[in-house]
Amino acid sequence: MTTAVPPSFRLGLKKIYLPDFTVALKRTPFLPPTQATFTVPLWFSKLDLRDYLYNVYKLPISPSIRSYVRQSRLRQGADPSAARPQYKRWHRPRSTKIMTVEMGQGFVWPTGPRTEEDFKSWNKKELKIAKEENAAMQERAGPGGDAVGVGEERRAAMKEQAKALLEGRERWRSGGKEGQGIMFGR
Amino acid sequence: MAAPMHCSSASLLRTTLLYHSPKPSALPPLFLTPAFAANSQTTSFSTTPRSPARRDGNSSRGTSALRHTGLNKKQRLSVRLSNLPRPVRDPARRSTVEVSKDHPLYAFLPNSESAIDTPEELSAHGRAWTITELRNKDWEDLYRLYWVCVRERNRIATQEAERERIENVPAALGGGEIYGAMEAAMRDKAVKKTMAAIRGTLRERWYAWENARVAAMDDEEVDLYANTENGERAYLPKEDDAGEQAANQVRGLNLGSEDDYRTDPSTLQGPDGGRGANARA
Repeated sequence: MTTAVPPSFRLGLKKIYLPDFTVALKRTPFLPPTQATFTVPLWFSKLDLRDYLYNVYKLPISPSIRSYVRQSRLRQGADPSAARPQYKRWHRPRSTKIMTVEMGQGFVWPTGPRTEEDFKSWNKKELKIAKEENAAMQERAGPGGDAVGVGEERRAAMKEQAKALLEGRERWRSGGKEGQGIMFGR
Repeated sequence: MAAPMHCSSASLLRTTLLYHSPKPSALPPLFLTPAFAANSQTTSFSTTPRSPARRDGNSSRGTSALRHTGLNKKQRLSVRLSNLPRPVRDPARRSTVEVSKDHPLYAFLPNSESAIDTPEELSAHGRAWTITELRNKDWEDLYRLYWVCVRERNRIATQEAERERIENVPAALGGGEIYGAMEAAMRDKAVKKTMAAIRGTLRERWYAWENARVAAMDDEEVDLYANTENGERAYLPKEDDAGEQAANQVRGLNLGSEDDYRTDPSTLQGPDGGRGANARA
């Protein structure tokens, strides 16, 4: 990795050939445009970030870099992927390191999607409907499902069915074949 | 003792006379008259000289932010309230920052117009490179491809952080959950697979080189310490047939291996140094 513009600082001697970490840029509207914030690995030093940005992105930065480690909140459960909630176990996810650099050239993030029209490509509306449907179904199937009662659509269908039976348009049948229908007791 | 203690002798005397004389109205004796003089000289018990009250030349003495004293009369600030800059509250009237199109930080974003890719754009990618394909590449190509992958992973991580930010914005302010997390994860997986394939290719190559080196250490025909820069030969086949050896030299360094027909003789170095086969031909 070579750059045309020579650095105004002394480059470090730490050699990294095939890294497997990521450095992410953060959106910081509360900072001036000449400052940029990155999420870096925990072992990163300020000099590491300076050399990394220079060598990989050809971004020269001023020597003043601010760095802090943000501790994560306590989360319930020992294993995040556990199927059941682990009420008596707690863990703290790994901390994250965040560094803010100052550049000579200002940078402003492009505006992301804002309106519902913008979010059409991300299917935001459909996702919201699906989430609500899913939550309603979970509630009906859950232990408090009896208290939820019967929905409006089902009420209308039952009314229609009862009317058809009374008028003789349909005949009542038991629950189909054996093994189908409602199972009483276990 | 009920009587209060005083430091001056005059007051002491007065107290004594008041409390112990049978007649309170009786005058003190004549020899004590000077002690009752109005301007009597007294000396304090403390030998430390008393200093005048806080004459330390500090102009801001007594100014305290905690006690809300404010500035005193002598203090002057370089800024007046009338000169203070005023914030622009209307976002439409604020000045915009001109960002050059080739700013290096755009490499962290999908492009200069959008901050986040749509799920469709995220899933528009092919499969990862395989080791079989990468075996044909040299170190420079592999290294370049690896750093392309590193930048791509940084871009994906930036977009994921942006997606999390959008999802944490309240729905009233235009936030909410959106699709794309799975597409980004799949893209990241493909990139990571390519990176693992590059590392695997290099690992294979290293083991091949190491095995060849170990084999060459036991091989008498190979000189590992030959200085090829100076024209010394690393491969010295045994001279069991002098005639065949001479014929090889004439034909242009045929080493008798199965790779000979693929080797351009002009690129080989002869035993006579840098002049090589070209000089002989």
